[in-house]
Amino acid sequence: MSNQNTFFALADFLIPAHGKMPKFSDVCGYADVEKSLDFRVDLKPGFARGIAVDPANGAEARLESLNKEDSEAFSAITTIAIATYYMSPRVRELIGYPGQENVPYDSKATQFYLTDGSLGHVIARGRKYRPTPGL
Amino acid sequence: MTVEDLADRSARARRDEEVDVVIVGAGPSGSVAALHLARAGVSVVVLEQGEWPDYADYTGARPEHELVSTKLWHPNPNVRDNPNDYPVDTSTTDINPLMFAGVGGSATLYGAQWMHFLPSDFRVRSMDGVAEDWPFTYEDLLPYQLEIEREVGVSGLAGDPAYPPRGAYPFPALPMGSVGQRGALGMERMGWHWWPGSNAIPSEKFGELNPCVRRGTCLTGCPEGAKSTTDRSHWPLALKAGARLVTRARVKEIETNEQGLATGVVYVDANGRDRRQRAKVVILCANGVGTPRLLLMSGGAGNPDGLANSSGMVGKRLMMHPFASVLASYRDPLDSWRGPFGQQVYSLEFYETDESRGFVRGSKWNCMPSGGPVGVSGATGSKVYVAESGRFQDFWGANLHENVARRFGHSLIWGIVGEDLPEESNRVVLSKDLVDSDGLPAPQIVYKVNENSNRLLKFNIDRCLESVRAAGAIETLVSTPVRESGWHLIGTTVMGDDPKRSVVDQWGACHDVPNLYVMDASTFPTSGATNPTATIMAVALRNTRRMIAERRNQKVA
Ligand SMILES: Cc1cc2nc3c(=O)[nH]c(=O)nc-3n(C[C@H](O)[C@H](O)[C@H](O)COP(=O)(O)OP(=O)(O)OC[C@H]3O[C@@H](n4cnc5c(N)ncnc54)[C@H](O)[C@@H]3O)c2cc1C
Ligand code: SF4
Repeated sequence: MSNQNTFFALADFLIPAHGKMPKFSDVCGYADVEKSLDFRVDLKPGFARGIAVDPANGAEARLESLNKEDSEAFSAITTIAIATYYMSPRVRELIGYPGQENVPYDSKATQFYLTDGSLGHVIARGRKYRPTPGL
Repeated sequence: MTVEDLADRSARARRDEEVDVVIVGAGPSGSVAALHLARAGVSVVVLEQGEWPDYADYTGARPEHELVSTKLWHPNPNVRDNPNDYPVDTSTTDINPLMFAGVGGSATLYGAQWMHFLPSDFRVRSMDGVAEDWPFTYEDLLPYQLEIEREVGVSGLAGDPAYPPRGAYPFPALPMGSVGQRGALGMERMGWHWWPGSNAIPSEKFGELNPCVRRGTCLTGCPEGAKSTTDRSHWPLALKAGARLVTRARVKEIETNEQGLATGVVYVDANGRDRRQRAKVVILCANGVGTPRLLLMSGGAGNPDGLANSSGMVGKRLMMHPFASVLASYRDPLDSWRGPFGQQVYSLEFYETDESRGFVRGSKWNCMPSGGPVGVSGATGSKVYVAESGRFQDFWGANLHENVARRFGHSLIWGIVGEDLPEESNRVVLSKDLVDSDGLPAPQIVYKVNENSNRLLKFNIDRCLESVRAAGAIETLVSTPVRESGWHLIGTTVMGDDPKRSVVDQWGACHDVPNLYVMDASTFPTSGATNPTATIMAVALRNTRRMIAERRNQKVA
């Protein structure tokens, strides 16, 4: 199996299709993976080790052994898989995530707690601090 | 002039020039001292090991944000791996200290939650029979707190019954998102205290600060320039007033003369060369880890215990506020990736001592959004929510999709900050093997979470679970004590009247070296349970004002 296919096998085990959600390789290409690695060059060595071995006994067994024996490689594979997946515009659309968006607001608008009485209850419950005069 | 242009205005002093004051560190405390000294006509040079922030580097607005920020903007310098930081030996601590090197200091990554200490924080010995009282009171500090709030541009709502009456905040409170509303609902159902969050994020344009657009990435640097950090709030004014700032300048030693008075500092410049900055007065603002580290590195060969350490207290009594978090998911959408991250709601219900609970002192809670899908999955990163079983399958496969569907956009986090009591065994020492990029010894942290903190956190977590369930939580995840939570670094050069038991007096002057000052949270006798930056800046202002008023009486070399 090529290294790329090894990664897809591992990533599809980590992120399979489920309900309306697609599996990893349905929405992410290897170019996306490489782009993610360029953002995190610190993960490259671990990632390379993680995909260097053919998962002959299946993806789960390979991940199990990486998790136990090479936590850095496990962390690199899983971090790249999950971050790349949730950067995919299709996945973001499915989970309703516009990214860390810009939401301007009116700083002078009256806040609900001033009109629905809820903050009034807090005030009515009375003073909470312990005064310290003369101490 | 824009903030970006300021870097060009920084300047070293002339060779051999003696300035009135040299300050180590350009974080919140050093920036306050620099601005007010420069305005009083004092010649000031500030040496900062980090650089000016480049706002283009903050990834909050970009798709790769969650991937990049967990490395580049990680609050633990050992993870960030940036040569401008010093590494920290964390092999002997339960909690990792968190910080950032740069103009603006650790606040570059702070949550901007803005809280004053409470009256009882200054009187813990008198009221609760533990630790020490402060040499001054809540009332003494309040005028400085209010002045700093105006400089920083804090937004909030006055009238909180958990505090004595105070004036209005400079800006109205930020809008409370669905996350805050849900957090408040749980507290209201329990009949407990809550209050709209106060944050160092002006809700309107203020000086160099832009209005917050609720991007929710405050903890990894604000790409909008809306979160108040001193590179924007203080440095434009300080440079205008004549203060000079040298970046990539790592101070390695404070020098003294035969009379034991400070004569200046030696620092390593950006090219790795040693330079000397002579000064009549030296002020340390390098935080609760960096300040004792520098004192321990100073004093010369004849002083193996470092400088200003005749009490033996330098580095001791480190307090880091053991922290727990509770993530709660709800069926209804809460838009929980939206900011402001700071705090949408806080609670001081359990702040004061109630001995029937089995511990002294108390806690502050803050309600925050839970963030993007990668973070809430709990599957990677600092593994805050990793299951006891340690089985990776619990977080992957179908479980990943289920976890994200349940939590993403539907969850909030209550952070629980507990007061940390001072213990001499919790301390900063110099590492024997780890060094920074200039070959200087790294600090080593020796710290254990004490029994009082363990009980305090357990009690508060149980109450917090009651509150979130009262508001309809369908899932809760607890993390305690969070290892990556040493964001408040306090107590390592304690202030007091007795030179045998304290390092500095109430104005920050070292008992042993009267023209050497500490103006960061190292001087705090106790830690309170609120986020400390408001109090750090207010104490720095109080000390600076006193220094200016007494400048003719200052003993110098
Ligand atoms: C992730 C995170 C979240 C936080 N959230 C909050 C919050 O919501 N609310 C709150 O009140 N507080 C918060 N804090 C804490 C807050 O950032 C600190 O209390 C505050 O920055 C302390 O200010 P300071 O000036 O004393 O120290 P710092 O801000 O740490 O500044 C010290 C400066 O000194 C420099 N320095 C150190 N040693 C040397 C040397 N030898 N030579 C030259 N320069 C040196 C450092 O590079 C640094 O820039 C948070 C902190 C972190 C890390
Ligand atoms: S929530 Fe506001 S202050 Fe925080 S990062 Fe976004 S714009 Fe900046």
